[in-house]
Amino acid sequence: MIRMRHRLGSLLCMLILVAAAAPVTITGQLLAYQDGFVFFTTGDGFRLAPNVAILDDQTKQPAKREPAPRDYARAVFNDAGQVVEIDLAEKPYAVGPLPDNVQAFAVTASSPYPNPELAGPPQTTSNGVDETFSGKLVLVKFEVQVPPTTPINAQIFITTDQSGWNPQAIQMQRIDALHFVVVRQMASGTILHYLYTRGTLQTEETGPNGLSLRPRALSVKDSDTNSSNSIVASWADANANNILQQPSVFPTPYNPAPFPNLPNGVKTPHP
Amino acid sequence: MRVRRKCEKPVRLRYLPLLIVALTLVLSAPGHAQTQRAASPAPTATPAPPATVVRIHADHIEFYYDRYLIEASGHVQVQASNGMTLSGDAFSMDLKLNRFLVASHVHLRSRGGNLDGAAIADFLDFDRIYFVPVITKPDRWTYENGDYTNPLKGRQMPGDVFYFPDVSNTSVSLSAKSATIEAKKFVRFTGVHAYFLHQGVPLPSYYVYFGLSQNLAQNSLSGANVDATWNMIGNANSVTALHARYDAFNQAYLGFEQHLGGNGPHEYAVFSINPLTKDDKYWNLVTGEHIGSKFEISTFTQLYTYQQGFSDPSASAQTTYVTLTQALNRSYLQAYFNQTNYNMIGPKTAASPNHPNSLQLSANSYNDQIFKTPLYFQTSFGLGFNHDAYGLQEYGGTLYTTIWNQSVGVTVSLPNVKIGDREKPYALYYVNASINSSRTWNSVPHHINAQNTTISLSRQISKFVNSYLAYNIQNTSDLYLQGGYEPSAPLLPDGTPYTPFESFRGAATQRTLALGTTYTASPNLVTTVTFGHHDDFPAAYPGLFAPPPTNAIGQYTYTNYLGQPPWQLNTEVRVRIEPHLVLDVQRTYFFHFGNEIWSPTFVIQLSG
Repeated sequence: MIRMRHRLGSLLCMLILVAAAAPVTITGQLLAYQDGFVFFTTGDGFRLAPNVAILDDQTKQPAKREPAPRDYARAVFNDAGQVVEIDLAEKPYAVGPLPDNVQAFAVTASSPYPNPELAGPPQTTSNGVDETFSGKLVLVKFEVQVPPTTPINAQIFITTDQSGWNPQAIQMQRIDALHFVVVRQMASGTILHYLYTRGTLQTEETGPNGLSLRPRALSVKDSDTNSSNSIVASWADANANNILQQPSVFPTPYNPAPFPNLPNGVKTPHP
Repeated sequence: MRVRRKCEKPVRLRYLPLLIVALTLVLSAPGHAQTQRAASPAPTATPAPPATVVRIHADHIEFYYDRYLIEASGHVQVQASNGMTLSGDAFSMDLKLNRFLVASHVHLRSRGGNLDGAAIADFLDFDRIYFVPVITKPDRWTYENGDYTNPLKGRQMPGDVFYFPDVSNTSVSLSAKSATIEAKKFVRFTGVHAYFLHQGVPLPSYYVYFGLSQNLAQNSLSGANVDATWNMIGNANSVTALHARYDAFNQAYLGFEQHLGGNGPHEYAVFSINPLTKDDKYWNLVTGEHIGSKFEISTFTQLYTYQQGFSDPSASAQTTYVTLTQALNRSYLQAYFNQTNYNMIGPKTAASPNHPNSLQLSANSYNDQIFKTPLYFQTSFGLGFNHDAYGLQEYGGTLYTTIWNQSVGVTVSLPNVKIGDREKPYALYYVNASINSSRTWNSVPHHINAQNTTISLSRQISKFVNSYLAYNIQNTSDLYLQGGYEPSAPLLPDGTPYTPFESFRGAATQRTLALGTTYTASPNLVTTVTFGHHDDFPAAYPGLFAPPPTNAIGQYTYTNYLGQPPWQLNTEVRVRIEPHLVLDVQRTYFFHFGNEIWSPTFVIQLSG
């Protein structure tokens, strides 16, 4: 039993030694390669060894070009914390904060000190979970209730600042007499400003007081689905009786009869 | 020799386009004035103001429209309006986050002197500049509030300050040689290749607005099947655009549009000529203004001309709509004015000399809840007149040139009543109902009753499918003091009288049963099928009723009309073919109602 323990102990020591001998590496995206330093997009600069090798990550052969901004790369450090090898990769490497053992290799002239502007408590959701905006694509569901005077065959759209306020940017689908819905994919962190329209900005929604509205705002969060429920009070082209004006061709003759397309021969009354 | 009376002088429209184009070019120019400030910082010791205009030159600039990203590389030169200039190898700007980054061999010129570094990031919203200088060795400096002389050395920076966005799954919308960016407003590119379906189209310039106000996006053009817009030039308050368009009626043509927008809500003016390259031209002017906090005015004016090029028109007409809105406490007043002149040329043309006008005043309440019931109601009252010196309507031997009207309307609605198990969203039914009723009395002795009733039952069947069943009844009665519409039997196309019409006395009823189903395969592919049945009085008969006129893209200009085919099946497919491009195809099947088998054309629209 004791012999067994000794053997396991020896094996563990060997593993630790092998691990300790393995070079320290990091991966990430390059920011700059200049003045004897290589900089990653974390903002950290690492000193280059005099004989630094620039390799292709896939073939491990010398790369055909110098490292450049936006390149994904692996940096290999020597014991002195200098970069001895940079492997340029075609595929993206995950970009994130540096591990502590590599952070110590970063060269900086001034001693770092905390930024009070970054010291605030993290924002949390209503469930108390840290609210993050990772930029991942999430589903956003828009549902709107339209005024009861909206025609049964009306088409409803969303116009947004993300589409240059194109009044037909996002078409919605009717789900009943008064409701329309649409689901779109958007990057979390997007702050969307939007309004509902019936296809033009002359038929955009107005407030309950008949005046035009400032755009609605939606902050897209990291949760799997985001939703927006809105009520349109009125449309900009609703007329005196709150009945929508019939679209018409130009020029529009005044027609006292409410039936624009009766057959020929149907006579209006004479007393 | 032709003698013309003064009042018959034709409207001289020949020079109007030149005047407007000159005016718009002058109005579009001020962007240069803003960027010139960048080159000449004021020689004072006070901190520099935050940059509002950034100008970039680079070997290669790419714009990703769907993410509002600008990525540049190669000999990047950046000038900011606060006097800072930068050079480097790479540039990245997120227009929505309003921050930019210059990386690799950075050279900074500012009031703090000339410095070299590895990267610099400017967070314009916060007036914070994060810099990695390389003097003997790298450091981290933060410039606060435009103070370039006292950097905060070593202060911790936000974690993603120097991150480049991942654009590997995004298509380039355009490439350029230079760009002028006004923060939170617009970007103007020069030396452009705009990409459409991965094909580059060379353009001298391109303008993109990305601000929060929709004033500059107000549109005065009619619909088209295809509209490729080239925003030629622009600044924070002006855009000049040329539209390459196609529709079934006009075929291919160009349209011109000039937008002017203020900084307040609802402050805009849009002028357009469309089609610019056809003899039939529509000159539109749309304006809006918000005066104070509770008053708003909107106008629409259209001038029609028939002219070859910009020669003297042989036909011309004009119409103007003005809408005034005054908000009150839980209600609002609206005035709606229209003036139309059917002949702007003079008596030499055969056009109608009529020039009717109308004014409607209305008071509208909010849509208020009835106590604590699920019902809501809204009321409206109106009065107004229509006038035409040439006569509006003859009745009882009198030609009415002015017809006064008064109206009252009420709307009651029942939104979103849930039926079923609320724990199971796919087994839940929703009931919605509304009734809108109005009466209009006219000084010609008749009144018009209109009632519109809709009830629907809907259900989300699965994650991808939702469906609704709706029933709509629209009653319209035009009731004269003496008699109604005279009994008559209009002749059918084969010459025989259509006797069911003899009972029509001015009261029509349209009943519509609709079953609609939407299949959302993904947010980028949506199919909607709507089956409709109409049971109307007077009953439809093939070829008897005049169909509504169609607009330029083949849609009926109004969709509720007498004589609708009793059975209809409409299918619409919307597919997103590019990040900013949606293709919409729809058509209606009429089940062989007389000669009507399908709707006149496929309605095909490409929209952004």
